[in-house]
Amino acid sequence: MTGPPPGPPAAADDITSWHRLHPLSPLVRAGRHLVGITIVLLLLLFARQQQTGNDLIYDLVIIVLVLGAGVVSWLVTRWQVADGVLRIETGLVRRQSRRFPLSQVQAIDVVQTGLARVLGLAELRLRMAGADSSGGRLACLRLADAEQLRQRLLSMAHAPRTAGAPAAPRDAVGQPGPSGPGPERPLFRVRSERLAGAIALSRTGAYAGAVIAALVVVIVATGRPGVTASLLPVVIGVVLAVWRQFNGEFGTVVSAAPEGLRLRSGLVQTTAETIRPGRVQAVRLVEPLVWRAFGWRRLEVDVAGPRQRRENRTEAQRLRALVPVGSRADAEQMLGELLIAAPRPVRRPPAKARWKAPLAYHFLGWDGDDRYVVASRGRVCRKTTWVPLEKVQSIRWVQGPVQRRLGLASVRLDVAGRRVTASIAERDVAEAQQILARLPDLARTARENSAARNGRPAARGAVNRA
Amino acid sequence: MSVVEPDALAEPGDAGIRWQRPSRLLLRARRIQVALVTVPVALIGGLIAGAAGSPALGLAVGLGLVVAGLLGERFLARRVAAWGYAERRDDLMVRRGVLIRRQSVIPYGRMQFIDVTAGPVERSLGLATLRMHTAAAASDARIPGLDRAQAAKLRDQLAALGEAQAAGL
Repeated sequence: MTGPPPGPPAAADDITSWHRLHPLSPLVRAGRHLVGITIVLLLLLFARQQQTGNDLIYDLVIIVLVLGAGVVSWLVTRWQVADGVLRIETGLVRRQSRRFPLSQVQAIDVVQTGLARVLGLAELRLRMAGADSSGGRLACLRLADAEQLRQRLLSMAHAPRTAGAPAAPRDAVGQPGPSGPGPERPLFRVRSERLAGAIALSRTGAYAGAVIAALVVVIVATGRPGVTASLLPVVIGVVLAVWRQFNGEFGTVVSAAPEGLRLRSGLVQTTAETIRPGRVQAVRLVEPLVWRAFGWRRLEVDVAGPRQRRENRTEAQRLRALVPVGSRADAEQMLGELLIAAPRPVRRPPAKARWKAPLAYHFLGWDGDDRYVVASRGRVCRKTTWVPLEKVQSIRWVQGPVQRRLGLASVRLDVAGRRVTASIAERDVAEAQQILARLPDLARTARENSAARNGRPAARGAVNRA
Repeated sequence: MSVVEPDALAEPGDAGIRWQRPSRLLLRARRIQVALVTVPVALIGGLIAGAAGSPALGLAVGLGLVVAGLLGERFLARRVAAWGYAERRDDLMVRRGVLIRRQSVIPYGRMQFIDVTAGPVERSLGLATLRMHTAAAASDARIPGLDRAQAAKLRDQLAALGEAQAAGL
């Protein structure tokens, strides 16, 4: 940090002092456990009615313990924003003081679980760049406060960067947008019926359909619904998976705001998230087999950051879908918003690659310019990945035994995180070697350009690395 | 395009890259590691087969496992010979592998941190493994079998270069 970021004049008032979270937070945070306990309680009540007295007492004790722990945790937790750093202190026995430098924040989400929505509360999640599993969480604040705090944290996070940035074409990867408050420009809104159809026709939906069909067949064939009891966990699993995806992507609205792309989604649990300019590590366009018949596409972005909370693992491993499902025009428009003149994977692999990848050959391709590299692959589901050269972490050249016999090789570009790798697969050895020789220089130039654009010197101390 | 010669020293595009090699002791370290696995496995496998079947079967199984270990040792020499690294102006290149050949390019500015580790076998021979971490989990850059002093020197050198060229995510 070169110095305390000059926050906007209004930022010097209340948030610099220590704050508590909202008093109803323990209830919301315990909500998940309470729901589980309640279900167990009801099951027990129905299952063995003679012993309900004891079980009821045990469950009440557990509920009181969970809530009590929540209240204690609420009592000892406080937060403060000072000098461009968010501090969260917590812990009764083991005091913990965590600092989150705002300049390294990748994104800030406002998440509302079902119970929080009823109570008008929201949780603020900070996503940092490190590989550490947990970012900062403020659970819970009043929704309005959370929104406001998010705005201010984001503007503080931006202040040092955007101060002297020259006006440049907007680009979610490289250039920061103009600073200061401004109106949001809506970019995309998912159509609910199309989302439902798309999920039904996706792999998740196919699994769910197969399981339910199997269930029906078994019941019809045997005539006894009881035999399907062992299948119940599977059914619950697939139904939950479908529900989670639908709930997560329902009502996705993307708009361009001054501080970045704003993404809102969710049916019961709503999430509002801002993807800051310059934080997009990769863009991926997915075209599954069945969707292609309808001309549907999915556009996802990878934003650097760790996996979030453990229970959200499946959710966090997926990329953020800016367009969960949309027409070709939707996807193209969003792509144009994210990347400037994105190249297309037009360079086809040599014909001999057919022997190595007979099923994927028709989708293989790559291209690149001085900003991006794009590579496409896939057997039945076409995946096209754009990687900005300035985000490339390492470049790998790989050649397996079959490829060696055929004179082929692949080049992979890694970006931060464990999710996305752009794979320029099955190229001629000479071409792959040429790519490996040229890309590091192109990537370095792109990094230097980006550093210059962001108004900071190309060489910086390790302290400042995000 | 002709098939590339499977010569570990002449990778395509080698021109202008001065490859440096791990220490010669790395092969010995690897041999010891293979022996440490093979001998107990052969003994136990032989004993179990001998107890379950006939003593001849046990002997055959034990010998078979030893032969497998020796074959592995043959492969080892080529694998050890395939390791190489080159410090270039802006990045480090590491290559490895015989069956699946890999070359990684890691810009100095992308290094997050650098580890030097040494297992018991490596330590007894005065060797160490250098491992570079970037923000991408998929980047695999390690150089095994460096002389311990050389590893420390390389680590400091890389850290300094990384600091000088560090770039934000």
